[in-house]
Amino acid sequence: MSGRKTAAAGRPAVVTGLGVVAPNGIGTETFWKALLRGEAVLGPVSREGCTDLPLRVAGEVHGFDADALIESRYVVQTDRFTHFAMAAADLALEDARLRADPEKPYAIGVATAAGSGGGEFGQGELQRLWGEGPQFVGPYQSIAWFYAASTGQLSIRGGFRGPCAVLVNDEAGGLDVFGHACRSIRQGTDAVLTGATEAPLAPYSMVCQLGYPELSLAEDPERAYLPFTRDACGFSPAEGGAMFTLEAEHVARDRGAPIRAVVAGHAATFTGTGDWELSRPGLARAIQGALEEADCAPDEVDAVFADALGVPAADRAEALALGDALGRRAAEVPVTAPKTGFGRAYSAASTLDVAAAVLALEHGVIPATPNITEAHHDLDLVTGSARSSPMRTVLVLSRGLMGHNSALVLRRAGGYRL
Amino acid sequence: MNGPMTYEDLASLMKSRAGTPVEPADLASRSASPFGDFGLDSLGLLGVISELENRYGCSIDGEPEAHKSPGALLALVNDRVSAGA
Repeated sequence: MSGRKTAAAGRPAVVTGLGVVAPNGIGTETFWKALLRGEAVLGPVSREGCTDLPLRVAGEVHGFDADALIESRYVVQTDRFTHFAMAAADLALEDARLRADPEKPYAIGVATAAGSGGGEFGQGELQRLWGEGPQFVGPYQSIAWFYAASTGQLSIRGGFRGPCAVLVNDEAGGLDVFGHACRSIRQGTDAVLTGATEAPLAPYSMVCQLGYPELSLAEDPERAYLPFTRDACGFSPAEGGAMFTLEAEHVARDRGAPIRAVVAGHAATFTGTGDWELSRPGLARAIQGALEEADCAPDEVDAVFADALGVPAADRAEALALGDALGRRAAEVPVTAPKTGFGRAYSAASTLDVAAAVLALEHGVIPATPNITEAHHDLDLVTGSARSSPMRTVLVLSRGLMGHNSALVLRRAGGYRL
Repeated sequence: MNGPMTYEDLASLMKSRAGTPVEPADLASRSASPFGDFGLDSLGLLGVISELENRYGCSIDGEPEAHKSPGALLALVNDRVSAGA
């Protein structure tokens, strides 16, 4: 935890653009409409080479045409997770009307999180290695499968030469990149292109996931991922993600960019693997740290976007952590997990939650938790249909399978929308 | 691939191996320009050369200067192929 107050540091970071490539929609508008409808798009895994594995249900991004969205050299030279990152980054940059200034090449940085890397690209080249021989392995194998590939290629493609980073700390990395980007901005960077995208629905990547006991092997898409219920049986994975432009508030104001949300606080803890009960104090501490940095009382939290792993012990730990950190507010604050409709895209899962949270703040509507009718915990889980509610402050939570816990506090740029 | 290598062959490899679209006529008319001018970076060139080696079954070594431009690469490849034939 930084322990430093964002506002007190004098350079608050604000969200000025978002770009979404999600299983329930490509583009922010499509994504938001699907969230409002509570659309459930989890379905049978259909990607080539993946249909005979024990993992049956996932959230695939359909209709993503890389050739139509990005330059052919990047289509050939990078993996699907980087294709997603470029497409989402283009949408975010366009939304913010932000581009590199050749006079100030170091003013904009790039920070992404990655948990899966370019598994599909790597598998293709390794198959050439063992099927044909080393001389048949293409040179882009040297860069395309790395976790850092998206950050590097986004920097090269956009001319963003400011601080660049990649966080590889599984799901929670999707929130931690916001903390990282805020630090870069506090230290003087004008803007950071940040977020995460993942493409783990390829044969090699899927086989790797089969080792996670938390993975849902259920066959019915409507029953595979049911966090906070008595029928919770693990999580369904997904692909896609979201990218954002984060800017120093005064920089955004000076150039007249609309401010979509303020990143008010972030904190992270680590409680190790193997015992989800341990995530209770870890997540509670992260929530407290993020609220403290945001100078936010528990009663001010208007909605929570839950981690919602879908493993009974983990769901219980999250519900209890909310109680520990928010006190009596925990039982009354609306909690939602729209990802039950499209799955968990590993480190990109929490970036899709951040995108949903920014849109929820803007519209004054909390999207529902698809496929779920009733929570088996003392939580006010938003089910059925989206709920209208004026909001100023939203809390987003994430935990990684390897023990990372993270919390992010977002505030509306203006007052209540009534 | 049979017979001498052409600018059409090279353009097709640059597209398929490195995603760099280029007109064969452009390669021919600016055959002494470095590959970088056509958007092909050093990794892309490496991919094109290893694909040529696999297709023609010969080694395309030599000084880096010899691979610098489309004209130089074509001359080198066709020289190697005719030497091996």
